[in-house]
Amino acid sequence: MIRFSNVSKHYPPSTTALHGVSFHVEPGEFVSIVGQSGSGKTTLAKLLFAEERPTTGKVVVGDWDITDIHRRDIPVLRRQIGVVFQDFKLLARKTVHENVAFALEVAGATSARIREVVPQVLKIVGLGDKAERYPRQLSGGEAQRVSIARALVHRPKIIVADEPTGNLDAITSREIIDLLKRINEFGTTVVLVTHDRDIVNALKKRVLTIHHGKVVSDVAHGKYTLG
Amino acid sequence: MRTFARIIRFSLQSIWRNLWLSFVTLTIFALTLVIVNVVLFLHMTANAALRSVEDKVQVAVYFNPGTSPEMEASVRGYVLGLPQVKTVDAITADEALATFKTRHASDASVLAALDEVGGNPFGDALVISARSPDDFAFILEAVKRPEYVGSIKETDYTDYKDVIARLSLFSERIRWSGLALAAFFALISVMIIFNSIRIAIYVHRDEIAIMKLVGAHDWFVRAPFLLEIVFLSCIATAAVAGVVLATAHSIDGWFLRYIEADISVWHYFSANAFTIFGAEFLALSILGLLTTYVAMRRHLRV
Repeated sequence: MIRFSNVSKHYPPSTTALHGVSFHVEPGEFVSIVGQSGSGKTTLAKLLFAEERPTTGKVVVGDWDITDIHRRDIPVLRRQIGVVFQDFKLLARKTVHENVAFALEVAGATSARIREVVPQVLKIVGLGDKAERYPRQLSGGEAQRVSIARALVHRPKIIVADEPTGNLDAITSREIIDLLKRINEFGTTVVLVTHDRDIVNALKKRVLTIHHGKVVSDVAHGKYTLG
Repeated sequence: MRTFARIIRFSLQSIWRNLWLSFVTLTIFALTLVIVNVVLFLHMTANAALRSVEDKVQVAVYFNPGTSPEMEASVRGYVLGLPQVKTVDAITADEALATFKTRHASDASVLAALDEVGGNPFGDALVISARSPDDFAFILEAVKRPEYVGSIKETDYTDYKDVIARLSLFSERIRWSGLALAAFFALISVMIIFNSIRIAIYVHRDEIAIMKLVGAHDWFVRAPFLLEIVFLSCIATAAVAGVVLATAHSIDGWFLRYIEADISVWHYFSANAFTIFGAEFLALSILGLLTTYVAMRRHLRV
């Protein structure tokens, strides 16, 4: 599903975020990418949805080599990958329903499809009764659920969650991770970027550890091993 | 089609949510168009005045009393044959006297001389209109042929050349200074549009980032900004058209009386409304679209 082959990413003049990273993620896997701040894990996530391009190496998503993806193809890629961020990235002046529908609108979905799919996805994330609320009227956990609903609305094969619990308390974080696990059980590949030791240890899923831009361990049922 | 409808919705939302910016842009658009229309009005008036004066310029050829109708017909035929001549009207002695008095109404010495002579010293006359004011000198010389000199009492030419030259100059000056003023306002429009778009991009930066994140194409992000300018151009043109037509209608009667020329400012703007305001809308839209395009290239990273 995802293949990184000897990927490096340099930022001028002299910063190397990733250095010769190689790994492979199977369809339906749940992979935690862990590392301390500045280790390069967010850069790795950005390479997945073409926010960044590798300096050297090769990135393949599905059967698609996105190493040198053309600008016009990026939207197509992003409709196949749901992205969840630490700061939710919700539109303050749109309701929960409108925020989720927005992802379908920009992709040209019909109004009928939007009316059908959005309530379904909001129900999956447990926000069926809060569709008309605005982001400011939601808790952090609820806002992150909206963000996940928006990521799910295209029925993506991959969800990339970059520090999705970074702004949440422990209990809410657990709820969000449970939600991601449920999504993974439906067959969606989940790539979780985090530095939260408790979450990683509780997951008991594959853990890929990055340190100073290099993959230092890749364990099938791993734990958070950094100091 | 539905994507286009959504782009229209986003454009209208943007106009509404950035009402102050939209208002400033609209005002400067409208001011530019008002200047253009005032220039059009002044230019039209000057041209009409010029035509009116040119039409009034005539050469009168007065025959001696008792000149035979055959001679008069011969002179008339000869003058009509000149390519510089537009029309020739034959008038009677009484009409000739009246025309002479009208032409010299402001010249007391000529009128006093006429009184001293007593009666009507004129015979019949020809009133000649030339194709161009420049041709009068030629026509005056042309009628001084030896076979006609004995029958012609006087040739009379009211010299409007100075008036015509001044009006031409006035018309030209209006056009150029008007164009300069319109260009100045167009430049201000460009600066305002550029900054409006820059601010709009800044205001919408989160929305733009999220649009990109969820898979919007570049044109889906850019199109609302471009469409917004077309909408604003349309609103500004419609508002200015309304004001110009209403003003033209209300001043028409007064204007006709004031300048004593056969021109209707209302007729001019209403009969050419589609051309005038259509061209203004197109020009404003193209100017706005080009500026928006440049602003987006500089500030919108999609």
